[in-house]
Amino acid sequence: MTARRDLAVAVAIWAVLSAIGVVVVLGTQILPVIASREAEVVNGAFVMLTVASVPILMLVVVPIAYSAIRFRASDDDETDGPPIHGHRAFEAGWVVVSLVLVIGLAAFGTIGLLEIRGGPDADLEVRAESTQWAWEFAYPDLGVRSKELVLPVDRRVRITIVSDDVLHSFYVPAFGIKQDAVPGRVTYLHVTPTVTGTYGAQCAELCGLGHTKMVAGVAVLELSEFQAWVAEQQPQQP
Amino acid sequence: MATLGHAVDTAAERRMLLLGVRLFILSEVMLFGAFFTAYFVLRAQAPAWPPLPDLERPELPLVGFNTLLLLSSSVTMQWAVTRIGRGDAAGFKRGLLATLLLGTVFLAIQGYEFASNGFGISDGVFGSTFYTLTSFHGAHVLGGLLLMGVLANRARLGLVTREHHTAVEGVSYYWHFVDVVWVVLFLTVYVL
Amino acid sequence: MDRWRRPGLARGVLGGVAGFAVGALPIVAAAQLGADIKPGHGLALGYIGAQVGWLLGLGALRFWTAWALGRAADPVDQAAAHGRAGDWTRYFRFTTDHKVIGLQYLITSFVLFLTAGLLAMVLRLELAQPGRLMDGDTYNTVMSTHGIVMIVVALIAIVGGLGNYFVPLMIGARDMAFPKVNALSYWLLPPALLLIVANPLLGGFDTGWTAYPPLSQQANLGQQAFILTFITLGVSSIISAVNFLVTVARMRAPGMSLTRMPIFVWALTVTTSIVLVATSVVAAGMTMLLFDRLLGTAFFRPSAGGDPILFQHLFWFYSHPAVYVMAVPAFGAVLEVVPVFARKPLFAYRLAVLSFIGIGVLSFMVWAHHMFVSGMADYFHIPIMITTELISVPTGIVFLSALGTIWLGRIRFATPMLWVFGFLWNFVIGGITGVFLADVPTDLALSDTYFVVAHFHYTIVGGMVYGLFAGTYYWFPKITGRLMDERLGRAHFWWFTLAFNATFLPMFWLGLQGMRRRVADYPADLADVNLWTSVASSTIALSTLVFLVNAIRSWARGPKASANPWRAHTLEWQVASPPPVENFEHLPTVTAGPYEYGVSASGPVIRPGGATGH
Repeated sequence: MTARRDLAVAVAIWAVLSAIGVVVVLGTQILPVIASREAEVVNGAFVMLTVASVPILMLVVVPIAYSAIRFRASDDDETDGPPIHGHRAFEAGWVVVSLVLVIGLAAFGTIGLLEIRGGPDADLEVRAESTQWAWEFAYPDLGVRSKELVLPVDRRVRITIVSDDVLHSFYVPAFGIKQDAVPGRVTYLHVTPTVTGTYGAQCAELCGLGHTKMVAGVAVLELSEFQAWVAEQQPQQP
Repeated sequence: MATLGHAVDTAAERRMLLLGVRLFILSEVMLFGAFFTAYFVLRAQAPAWPPLPDLERPELPLVGFNTLLLLSSSVTMQWAVTRIGRGDAAGFKRGLLATLLLGTVFLAIQGYEFASNGFGISDGVFGSTFYTLTSFHGAHVLGGLLLMGVLANRARLGLVTREHHTAVEGVSYYWHFVDVVWVVLFLTVYVL
Repeated sequence: MDRWRRPGLARGVLGGVAGFAVGALPIVAAAQLGADIKPGHGLALGYIGAQVGWLLGLGALRFWTAWALGRAADPVDQAAAHGRAGDWTRYFRFTTDHKVIGLQYLITSFVLFLTAGLLAMVLRLELAQPGRLMDGDTYNTVMSTHGIVMIVVALIAIVGGLGNYFVPLMIGARDMAFPKVNALSYWLLPPALLLIVANPLLGGFDTGWTAYPPLSQQANLGQQAFILTFITLGVSSIISAVNFLVTVARMRAPGMSLTRMPIFVWALTVTTSIVLVATSVVAAGMTMLLFDRLLGTAFFRPSAGGDPILFQHLFWFYSHPAVYVMAVPAFGAVLEVVPVFARKPLFAYRLAVLSFIGIGVLSFMVWAHHMFVSGMADYFHIPIMITTELISVPTGIVFLSALGTIWLGRIRFATPMLWVFGFLWNFVIGGITGVFLADVPTDLALSDTYFVVAHFHYTIVGGMVYGLFAGTYYWFPKITGRLMDERLGRAHFWWFTLAFNATFLPMFWLGLQGMRRRVADYPADLADVNLWTSVASSTIALSTLVFLVNAIRSWARGPKASANPWRAHTLEWQVASPPPVENFEHLPTVTAGPYEYGVSASGPVIRPGGATGH
């Protein structure tokens, strides 16, 4: 087999495996639970990156597997291979393609980030207060406090995150959001939950002895149920 | 091989030693760069400088005088290097001693300034950045003075000659670096 | 009795203990007088005293002190310090021969690797099932110590071990530029390593190797052991870096232009350049943390105007380039091995060199991708995402070079080449998953989860450790004069590779499920995968035993190796195995590049003998 044939065969194998992989990935949801607008964007980013990853993975796996079989020297073969020092066009092509790919990914990433962040408006304000080693949630406009984060579905929520001792991090996997709690600072994120149900929040920054157990429940309710819950929590007027 | 104690420094060994000193100084630039970065960041985030109303910044005239002392010591140091380069061991010793003296007085004045400051290292970010920066610099000055003491001792024993004074050159690079750091420190921590 | 008066380990230990007492004495006195003193003050000053006493006792400073006092150099002592061939005791004292120092680093690294590996076993024991076996402080200390010890290994094993041993040989020099500084960089380590391994006795520390304040300001005394060890490693690295750079700049043999320099030497040049520039920044950050703990400063104390995020910036400004300090030497080792076993020139050598330099430069511009969820200003995310994605371009060129060399080669799967192939598989996975972390939208979900743990184990173990094993198996015959057993080598490779991938591949899935890192427990639905991971990881430990048995047996009574069993073209293979103490009888003159396979039929093309052989 000539070098040309070897290259053609390897490229063909690469193309086929990449195509199969891309097709498989395109039909998959990568985030296990998608319960917010933001998680939808995040999942889209995952799919795009995984699709891009497949041909790159194959670009390494196919040549090494092909070479391990095809170019393996027998035990008594002491000869050297061909004195190929490089290939200008191939090297240039490799660099250009990887640059274009990277710029494309960065562009998509930028768009995705801006979509996730959105504008400054919000329908509801919640304060996530972290302390070693528990969460508490305050609803300043509603005069309500709760150990569980309860939110209405399809409403944009602004969660401000604070800590009174060490670094913590507010992380709800189902919402695809995470932001650190920094003592001395107020951080925040926006989320629009889109699926009712119960989920979990966890502290995602090592905060000492109780880090493992620093979790809280998250419940997303229909608006009417949420309003009922709020009414229950509010202190009764004397 | 580059072994100290040769009667004659070969040109190659000299170049290697001086390159080593310059590279080391590069890492020191990054060290002070990090401390300065902390100072700038914390100062930019503070509502006012000094952040607490009862803290007073050090008086400039004394520190300005001290700055002139240190700058002069770089001049005397460079003069000493030039002298030994011409084989004038006596001139070299005079320049070295002058540098030592100026550096020592610098540290003494700085010590006096620390004592008369109305704030300490634990007075918030103001005290933290001020004393950490100046103390690290002062420690480097002290290190330089110790190195000069060693050079003075070797000069006393007749071991510093026109053919053999690479260490002098290396120490002079270090000393000028320490001086430059001080100028930046003076301008950004005291004056600005 | 004489042992205690001669420079050496015994006197060094004595000096260390005495030095600790001297350093701690003022603190104890001050405490008696009622000053506000913490044990941390005593530990800090005591440690500094211990290092000084240790180095003095060891005799590490005796040449410089003699010079300072104006005493004539003692040629007998200098020669003794260089070490005589066949004298095994020279490995246990201050010896200036770079080959001795290289082995000291290499063996120390392996011992540390095994120690931290054992700690990992403890972690996986806790994580094998839901529920708790140990309390949070114990788990956090074990986890943090595993992290920092492995980081140390990753930073020093290839550069300090293989680099020290082989760079002078590969450039045709008799030693490094500053042999005494070289030895000093090694002997600074034992007190620091002792301190970090003993940190549980001081109360441990629960902040991970990242030591973020405010938690690290409040943590136990073990945190301070961590800080002092970190700073010591920093000093050792910086002086080592100066040594490497001056050596490569000024001691290359005649005819070895920069374009004829072996790729491994290029890799270490870029690596040590990064070390030189970046390390001081984290040393400063750690010093500020130490001052916050001991002197009441407020660098990272929000109540007094400080900023915890400032620490993260200072920490990662070093620690991101640091991962390239771990990876680039491995790239260099892999690219050094691949031409020899494919019998082809290194493909795109010049582009590979440029890519190392590109990685070095870009590595300083990406640090904040560790801080996407830290609360830092939003506008910073996008430029950092761009630079981080960009760094995959030069990294990809490493693959171009390796694959281009392998393609159309005449491949022999000796053990070193197996590790090269394993590296390529592992690092492409590690690299691709890095892009998921570079992309901000996906990083928001993945940060601080097991996805990150999987990613960095794929790059550091799958990358650095594989490069280390490739280099170790490759250069073992040169170092020891014996051949390793190929069957045991193959067994080690396959076992390690299967166990490693079985352990860490599922962790990507765990991260996507939302399992956080640095936790001692997890929800019940993740139990099966965690159990699998724990079982698989225990077999990694067993596979390492295969390597140990092979190495020890082969060193003791393996078949003798010729000067050049792999028929390689670089200079270290043109001298005996092991090399003579002075490396070369006559310093060589180089007349061609190091990878001219298929070009010159008669093997290496250097002419021994130079104009003024030293």
